[in-house]
Amino acid sequence: MIASPTRSLLSAVFVLWLTATGAPAASAIEHDPAPDEERLLLEALQADADREDDDPRAARSSSAAAAAFQSMNPDISVILDVAGAWFSDTDHLQTGAHDPVRNGFNLQQLEMGIESNVDPFLRFNAYLVFSAAGVEVEEAYATTLALPGRLQLRAGQFLHRFGRVNATHPHAWHFVDQSIVIGKFFGPEGSRGLGIEFSWLLPLPWFAEVLTTVSDPVGGCCARSFYGNENIELRTPAEFLFTSALRQFFPFSDSTSLLWGLSTQFGPNASGLGNRTAIYGTDLYLRYRPIASANRASLSLQTEWLVRSRQVPDDVLQDLGGYAQLVWQPRIRWETGLRYEFTSGVEDDPLDPEEDRERHRLAAQLTYYPSHFSRIRLQPFVDVPTWRADPIFGSFLALEVLVGAHGAHAF
Amino acid sequence: MPTTTRQRHARPAARRPRALRQVATIAIASLLLMIPASGAHASTLEVVATTPALAAIAAEVGGDHVRVRALASPSEDPHYVDARPNFISLLSRADVLLAHGLEYEVGWLPQLQVNSRNARVQVGGEGFVEVSRFVRLLDVPDGPIDRSMGDLHPGGNPHFLNDPRAAAGIAEGIVEVLSRRAPEHAQAFADNATRFAGELRSFAREQRSRFSALPASQRQVITYHKSMTYLLDWLDLELVETVEVRPGIPPSPAHVSRVLQRMRTSGARVILQEQFYPTNTSQRLAQLAGGEVVVIPGGPDHRGGEDYLSFLRRMTDALHDALDRS
Repeated sequence: MIASPTRSLLSAVFVLWLTATGAPAASAIEHDPAPDEERLLLEALQADADREDDDPRAARSSSAAAAAFQSMNPDISVILDVAGAWFSDTDHLQTGAHDPVRNGFNLQQLEMGIESNVDPFLRFNAYLVFSAAGVEVEEAYATTLALPGRLQLRAGQFLHRFGRVNATHPHAWHFVDQSIVIGKFFGPEGSRGLGIEFSWLLPLPWFAEVLTTVSDPVGGCCARSFYGNENIELRTPAEFLFTSALRQFFPFSDSTSLLWGLSTQFGPNASGLGNRTAIYGTDLYLRYRPIASANRASLSLQTEWLVRSRQVPDDVLQDLGGYAQLVWQPRIRWETGLRYEFTSGVEDDPLDPEEDRERHRLAAQLTYYPSHFSRIRLQPFVDVPTWRADPIFGSFLALEVLVGAHGAHAF
Repeated sequence: MPTTTRQRHARPAARRPRALRQVATIAIASLLLMIPASGAHASTLEVVATTPALAAIAAEVGGDHVRVRALASPSEDPHYVDARPNFISLLSRADVLLAHGLEYEVGWLPQLQVNSRNARVQVGGEGFVEVSRFVRLLDVPDGPIDRSMGDLHPGGNPHFLNDPRAAAGIAEGIVEVLSRRAPEHAQAFADNATRFAGELRSFAREQRSRFSALPASQRQVITYHKSMTYLLDWLDLELVETVEVRPGIPPSPAHVSRVLQRMRTSGARVILQEQFYPTNTSQRLAQLAGGEVVVIPGGPDHRGGEDYLSFLRRMTDALHDALDRS
C-alpha cells in the first residue's frame, strides 16, 4: 500500500509530465489554415465580437462605481420641512404636531426614513422625526413579505391605515398642515399605535384589501379619543384599540380611477370604566391623470368623512368631521389645490370643551417643484370656529427638501 | 362607572346571528373565488413587466406559454408611474416580474412588490429579475455623484430598451427565470430566445450600416432627456446637447439659448425625444434652427399587439427620415 503523501507526490509528477509532453505535441501540428478554415475562424471571431458588445460583464467589471453601489446599508432619506407662518390671531387652533404654529419661522420637522429588507421574509421601515422638542420614533415596523394566502402582517409602531391621509407623512400631503378632523379625533400625530396589523388581499378581480389592527389605545399624541394621556394599564383584551378597514380600487380607464375606503376604530376611552369610543370613516380618492399627457398633468378629488361616538358618563357624544380637497397639477412643476374642512362640535366635550359648535376651514395652495425632490408652497387659509366671534386668517410659505433614497409612496 | 350607553351596546348583540351569516357568506364566496384564481397558474405563466418594451420582449421569449402584462403604458414616463392598486392585484398573481432595475422604477415599484404579498416577486424572489444585469451598461458614473448633477442613476443609464443589442441580451437572460417557473417549457423558451436574439442582432447590424451611411454632419442629434444613450451608441449617432439642463431638471431660458447656439454651430437639426416629455421647447428650438422634432413612443403598443421589432422599425424609420432631411 502506498502512503497518501507519496500517492499525491506521484500524481503531481504524472501531471507535470503530461503538461510538459503536451506542449510540443500542440506545436507540432502548427500550419497555415486553409481558406475555408480561415473563413470559419473569421465568422466565429465576428460572432464573438458581436456577443462581446452585448456582454454586460465587460462594462460592469470595469466600473468601480457599480461595485461601490452594492451595499448592505439600508436606504436612508432625510426630509426637511420649514415654514414661515402668519396668523391673524396668535391663539389659533392648529391641531397637527407638525403644523406651523407661531408667527415667524417654524421648523415643522426633520424626518429621517430608514428602509430595508431584513431577510427574504421581512421588510423594515422606520421614520424618526427630529424637532425642537427632541427626537421621536414616528414609525418603526416590520412587514412580512412572504406569507401564504395573500396575507400580510405588520408589527411595531405605525400610523393606522384608517382612511386615506392618516397613514401618510407630511411630505406626502398636498397641504402644509394636518386636517382638523385628524388632529381632533385622533391626536396631533394622527392615529398611531404600537401593535400588530393583519391584512388580506381579497381574491377578487379588482383590488380589495381588508385589514385589522390591534394596538394599545394610549397616547395623547395619537389616541386622544381613547385612553389618551391617561396612564391606564390594559386589563382585558377588549381594551385594545381595534382598527379595521376595507379598501377597494376601481380603474375606470388608464387615466381615471377611484379608491374607496371604509374604516372603523373601536376602543376604550378614559371617561369611565367600560366606556368606549367608536370612529367610523369613509374616504374617496378620484384621480384623473391622462397618461398621454407629457406634462404629467393630473386632477384629484380626495374626501374623507368621520363620525365619532363616545360613551361618557350618562351620555353618548356624537360628532363628525371631514374634508374635501381638489388638487390640480397642470404642469410638471406646478400644482394648486383647494381644501374645505369641517367639524361639527358637540356640547360638553371633555376633550375640547370650547368646541361646542361647527368649525369650517378653507385653504388654498400653490406649489412650485424646482425638481422632484423639493417644493415651495404658499397656503393662505381662513379658519371659522363658530364658537368664536372672529375668524382666523393666516398664511404659510413652506419649503420642503428631500435627500437620499426615499421609498416609493402608495397610490 | 355605570353609564346609560351600556344599553346601547346591547343592541348590536341582538343582530349578531344575521351579521355572522353575512360574514360567513362573504367568506365562502371569497374562498370559491380563490379556486379559479389559483388554478389559472397551471397552464399559463403570468408575467408582469414594468414597461411595454420589456413586456414585448418577454412575449417573444415566452410565446404561447406566457401571458404578459405591462404596468406602464408607452405614453407614460417610467420614472413617474402611479402605483395604482390594481397593479398590486396583478403582482399578487404573477409568477414572474421583470423590471429594468438601476432605480428606474424606484418611485413606484417597491411599494407594489411589498403590498403584493407574493414571495416570488419580491427582491430576491425566484420570479423577480432586474434585466439591467443582462445589459452592457452605459453612462455608469466613474466618480462621485449627487443630485446637483440632476436625477442620475448611480448604477448606469436605465433607458436601454430602444437598443436591440440590449434587448437580445435580455431575451437570452430571462430564459432562466421563465424556465425556473415553468421547466416543462424551458426548451421552447430557449429556442424562442435564440431565434429572437438572432433577429435583433441582425436588425441592429442592418440599421447601424444604414445610419452609418449618412454623412457625419447628419448623424448629430439633440435629445430631450439623456435617455437615448444606447440608441445613439447603436446607430453611431452623436449627442450634441440635451434640452433638459441636467437629467430631470427642466430647461431654463439660458440653457435653451445655449442649445440653439449649439444647433446652429454644429449643424445638428434633429431633436429626438420620447412622447412623455413636453414638446413645446423642442418644437420652438427646431423651428428657430430650421430642424424638426422626432417624437417616439416610450415602447411598443404591447396591449394593441405591436411587437418589439415593429416598434424599433417605426422608430428607426422616423429618425432616419428626419436625419436624411436635415
